[in-house]
Amino acid sequence: MFRNVIAAAAVSVLLAGTALAQPIKVGLSGPFTGGSASMGVSMRDGVKLAVGEINKAGGIMGRQIQLIERDDEAKNELGVQIAQELINKEQVVATLGYINTGVALASQRFYQEAEIPVLNNVATGTAISSQFKSPNYIFRTSANDAIQSAMIAAEAVKRQGFKTPAILADSTNYGQLGRQDLTSALAGMGLKPVAEEKFNIGDTDMTAQLLRAKQAGADVILTYAIGPELAQIANGMAKLGWKVPMIGSWTLSMATFIDNAGANGEGAMMPQTFIQTGNTPKRKAFIEAYQAAYKVDRIPSPVSAAQGYDSVYLLKAAIEQAKSTDGGKIRAALENLQTKVDGVVTVYDKPFSATDHEAISGNIPVFGVVKGGRVVVAHPDDIAGDKAVRVKPKS
Amino acid sequence: MQILAQLIASGIAVGMIYGVIAFGYQLTFATSKTLNFGQGEALMLGSLVGLTVVTFTGYWIMLPIVLAFGLLQGAVVERLGVRQAIRTKSEAGWIMATIALGIIFKNLAENIWGRDALKFPSPLPEAPLSFMGVNVLPMEVVIVFGALGMMLLVELFNRRSIYGKAVVATANDRDAAGLMGINTSLVITFSYSLSSMTAAFAGVLVAPVTLTGASMGGALGLKAFAVAIIGGLSSGMGVVVGGLILGITETLTGYYLSTGYKDVPGLVLLLLVLSFKPSGLFGSATIKKV
Repeated sequence: MFRNVIAAAAVSVLLAGTALAQPIKVGLSGPFTGGSASMGVSMRDGVKLAVGEINKAGGIMGRQIQLIERDDEAKNELGVQIAQELINKEQVVATLGYINTGVALASQRFYQEAEIPVLNNVATGTAISSQFKSPNYIFRTSANDAIQSAMIAAEAVKRQGFKTPAILADSTNYGQLGRQDLTSALAGMGLKPVAEEKFNIGDTDMTAQLLRAKQAGADVILTYAIGPELAQIANGMAKLGWKVPMIGSWTLSMATFIDNAGANGEGAMMPQTFIQTGNTPKRKAFIEAYQAAYKVDRIPSPVSAAQGYDSVYLLKAAIEQAKSTDGGKIRAALENLQTKVDGVVTVYDKPFSATDHEAISGNIPVFGVVKGGRVVVAHPDDIAGDKAVRVKPKS
Repeated sequence: MQILAQLIASGIAVGMIYGVIAFGYQLTFATSKTLNFGQGEALMLGSLVGLTVVTFTGYWIMLPIVLAFGLLQGAVVERLGVRQAIRTKSEAGWIMATIALGIIFKNLAENIWGRDALKFPSPLPEAPLSFMGVNVLPMEVVIVFGALGMMLLVELFNRRSIYGKAVVATANDRDAAGLMGINTSLVITFSYSLSSMTAAFAGVLVAPVTLTGASMGGALGLKAFAVAIIGGLSSGMGVVVGGLILGITETLTGYYLSTGYKDVPGLVLLLLVLSFKPSGLFGSATIKKV
């Protein structure tokens, strides 16, 4: 009899336990196939690594995180469908992801209406975090194009002393908006690019673009494009026997650029929030965990992996502070985070406010350079000593 | 002057790529008055199959394997997509069927090889050759002469061999050829095989310069279609010249006008040809009997 009572009590406790420990559903949207898959897959794997660690340590408030992963194939219309599915059918508490600015802009409207936070961890279009007025549910943990283009211009003109830059950008939104950001950053330094050339996705011959830049006397090429066409630029320069440095947006770190340009791509420089060097214990542990979990030596896109990983810990901190999975409360907590989140990219100390939804400020990224088929730190003194972890200044 | 020469050299290399793909359109159009709209995908499959095989055999032994694959792939397209349409004298059936097959091949390739652009190992050194200040890649020279050589061989085959004569007879008058005892449906299958074979060959020829990947067929196939229209679908010579015209106009416009308008003159030319000489610059006007 007594034993039965204990058994019944145990069962009811267990039942109550499971009722309490409903998993927290978090959406994940990114391209896991297609031209930007290397970024999408690295981001997803970084997110999964963080979720695995959190779940192993007991979850958030005793509840496990359940990721709902969806492949948006970098297509706007698919991104919209996925957003609606994650919001209405899966009822996620927040969504992480977006590699492509177009997909992010098309999809996040639905989260804003449903009052569910989005942590945009890779897409860089400047408009993403300012698409909506406060209360804005869209946050970002990547370096936006305004930051990147300012860095590119400063690196080329101020640090390396180039005087006649040419801009080569693809004809997509990404390339053309980036080109505008770049020209205005250069204008701020009193410079006008000597040539601004355009090409299409899939173009295989860059002779005309490069000759125009060469004839205009360009001493450096600034790029805003994606991997395969960037490789054609590097290969085209080698063909013409004309070699000037390439400095461009973070896509110069894409495996499709590094692998397809080979020796011609060596020396290309780009802003990076994270470079695969274990210069702090935290970063070393992250890189080793990633390599062990996914059996790779070179992380396909280290920046995406690191930003994805950090976005999970930011969400965890916000949910714990809100003590709730209500979208509005998570948003309020993110805008006023009391705990410091020790991430791999940076230490997030009040990363967001009601008006500022950008976790990455202009001082955080450093320049990477392609060397030996990998991205390494371009200027080692940038991350020497106490500059290893670069933190967003207090507003 | 040196710049003009460099632009023309690059234009010729690009133009030959277009021309050799367009040549495949011309082959099937001659025999059956149908086109394989999946020509770009045949090129892409040839180059991806080549990429897989090349790691085991090296570049030169890979070529016959890819050619055999092209022959087979073309026959599949004809049997599945075109034969029914020809039999029922459908005007548009083959258009939809070859487009559909092209999409299927693309999806298949995405699943096997992924969607990233891949590097195709070059059989020749990648350092440029310099002729009087004009730089060209060794592989670009191979593209130009390889494409010309292949087109010449196919033309020779058609004009000199007994099988080729059956192809030409079918091209001239399918019904009459049938009455003379030529198995015209076999000839049509064969012309599709030949067409995909040239595309597959073009694929491994251009891939070291253009990169390869499941999406490489789309843009190139479309450009080649424009070339086939400009040059004339009934003339092998026409597609070569059409390709060169388009390739050279693209690089010249890009340099002298603006790289943003690189594609425009080619398309204007296409419109002009369509309005003033619809059969193409080198095409012979055909009278359609109804």
